[in-house]
Amino acid sequence: MPQNFRSLAYALIRRLALLATCCTLLFSAVQGVWTYHSVRQQLLGNIQYVASSNMPMLSVALWDIEPATVRQQLAVIAARPGVGFVRVNVVTGQMFEAGDASLLYHNQVSRFVIPPPAGGGKALGELLIVLKDNYIYRQVALALAGMLLGYFLLTVLLCALVVYVLRRDLEKPMHAMADFAGRLGPHTLTSPLRLQRGKRDMHDEIDLVAAGFGTLQNALTEHIESLDQQVAERTRQLESALADIRDLLTHDTLTGCYNRAFLDERLPQETARAQRSGQPLALVFCDIDHFKQINDEYGHLVGDEVLREVATRLRSQLRNDIDWVVRFGGEEFVVVLPDTGGDNARLVAERLREAVATSMLLEDGRRLQLTASLGVAIWQPDEELDAWLKRADTLLYQAKMQGRNRVES
Amino acid sequence: MRRTLLVFCCLLYCGLAQAMSVTFINPGKHDEIYWLTATRAMQAAADDLGVQLEVLYAERVHPRAVEFAREIVARPRDKRPDYVILSNDYGTGPEILRLLDSAGIRTFLAFSGRGDDKGPEPMGAPRTQFHLWLGSLEPRAEDAGYQSAKALIQRARKAKLPRVGGKLQLIAIGGDRSTPASIARDEGMRKAVAEAGDVELVQEVYAAWNRARGAEQSDWLYLRYPQARMVWAGNDLMTFGAMDSWRKRGGQPGKDAFFSGINTSTEAMQALRDGSLAALSGGHFIAGAWALVMLYDYNRGIDFATEGLELDRTMFTLFDAASAERYLRYYGDMDFSRVDFRHYSKAFNPRLKRYDFGFQQLLK
Repeated sequence: MPQNFRSLAYALIRRLALLATCCTLLFSAVQGVWTYHSVRQQLLGNIQYVASSNMPMLSVALWDIEPATVRQQLAVIAARPGVGFVRVNVVTGQMFEAGDASLLYHNQVSRFVIPPPAGGGKALGELLIVLKDNYIYRQVALALAGMLLGYFLLTVLLCALVVYVLRRDLEKPMHAMADFAGRLGPHTLTSPLRLQRGKRDMHDEIDLVAAGFGTLQNALTEHIESLDQQVAERTRQLESALADIRDLLTHDTLTGCYNRAFLDERLPQETARAQRSGQPLALVFCDIDHFKQINDEYGHLVGDEVLREVATRLRSQLRNDIDWVVRFGGEEFVVVLPDTGGDNARLVAERLREAVATSMLLEDGRRLQLTASLGVAIWQPDEELDAWLKRADTLLYQAKMQGRNRVES
Repeated sequence: MRRTLLVFCCLLYCGLAQAMSVTFINPGKHDEIYWLTATRAMQAAADDLGVQLEVLYAERVHPRAVEFAREIVARPRDKRPDYVILSNDYGTGPEILRLLDSAGIRTFLAFSGRGDDKGPEPMGAPRTQFHLWLGSLEPRAEDAGYQSAKALIQRARKAKLPRVGGKLQLIAIGGDRSTPASIARDEGMRKAVAEAGDVELVQEVYAAWNRARGAEQSDWLYLRYPQARMVWAGNDLMTFGAMDSWRKRGGQPGKDAFFSGINTSTEAMQALRDGSLAALSGGHFIAGAWALVMLYDYNRGIDFATEGLELDRTMFTLFDAASAERYLRYYGDMDFSRVDFRHYSKAFNPRLKRYDFGFQQLLK
């Protein structure tokens, strides 16, 4: 997993928690203010009620001068929730108190006139009831604590649910898909994506992604297969072209015989082989007689035809795959005869002379008499190739000199 | 000789058998002046009449009076008294009467009768619901309130106190709101105020017969009614409380303000003598002694039924400096042996047709 990875569930929970905290703070503030005011109003109402309900007895107790009763009354009033301090100031100077006197200077004071019991006349005194701010704060705190607990539980439950659903429906399948995609290779491309998600009636985004994977895999497979075919086709074309080129490199295009380059490459191999095996190796130089005259007389096209014909006739007399013919240049051919000694070589050369020395039917219906002169040289061990070729050429020259259409060895 | 001895023994037996025994369930405390005085007077009467008197103090714990009745009933027959005298304080009467009636002991209510409860329940009239409840004797409490208030008003008039709207302002301090004797004393006071015409009762408060509470309430009342110069109280202690408060304010009782009280305490008598107390009514403690006289006569076959079963008689007397002097001299040490109670008995005085229960006669 990368270092800066953060799961969706974590991100969602973080935002949820943030939202819940913000909402809680906002609502708490509103609720706190509202509770404070309502509790305060209620408390003031209660104090009003307490004062009015205690007033008759208080009035009688003061009128009858029953200080003990007055004290009892005040104790009862002071014991009421939210009442912090009570004082009765009697017009005749007496004062009664109950509760915490220090509250008098910091909290709201409700004042009530105590009338005489019979009504009318001068007031007997004044009743002061001081509400206890602490009580209001405690009520507010209680209300807020309840609300906060509720919000906290709700948030925790929501987060738990989100985590559960995300893990089950998103995180696990996503991780499985990530693993799957990570493992995909050329050989496993066709293996299908399988998610352990249990049985469900409805499909969701994960299923869409999984289906997308399938489609992608299929398309990739198809694409790869068509690529293989193309490569095979191209290879074949390339190989064919390469064969052509190789042909061109080693063959003479006019006659189909091997060319000088092939001879230079192949001949050392033949000599090495002969050296190794101890078998003889013969070389025949063959030159078409009076070819220059044919060319002059019949034209180059006929010359070419003659060259092709001679090559064909030479090849027809040789062993396939063992003997080979090279167009050495112009109207000169070299025939290489592996495993062929002096006598055999001379025989083969005679056969070759005979094969060439027949008339040839030209395309225009005329007949042309062909002959060739041949020089045969058997390879001497350790002989240099050039020397060997020179020897054969020399022999050919001798055949020419001796009257042509003959073999010299 | 043998015959003489037999007659003597027989007479002695009869004499012993006829020695009547009475138990008094005293609702008060054993060291409370009023109830102690009442007991001493009864004892003096019992001595004169040859009555065997037993006194049980409930110490102002009302249920204890009922416990005493149970204890009496539980005694063996020969240890039980012939008569039980009790006071119907705090409504304990009916239960005690029921207990003693069922045990066959005769009963008599003294000091406090059945009050305003004249209906059949829970006591009924004497000798009806409880057959052995013989009757009751109450001092006429209204007299005390009336006498003392009237004397107080007269004293104030004579002193030419400042008036408010032509009237003298009177403050009243009652004992409590429920006891019949307390209510009756208040009524007497109101009657005197109504008769006077030039007196305004500005307020009545209740100080539970207590000196300190009387003083405390007075503190308020003097402030509430700065013009008031007369204080009437339902007993002597509350009067003294009011006087204490007045003195605390720099006043001089008997000179710039006048006070009246009820009861016969030594302190009250002395205050009357030195002039700080303007009027004093008392003497009703004697009701117990008179009850003993009535029961003695009843035991001798002279039923008081001829005069009524529930007697409500004048007993209080208004003291002046001279009678206070005499009272202190005669009874200052609570010794009533000076009085011969046989003198007031119908059994000893066949010519006596009607009991005279006034205290005045004992001051001659």
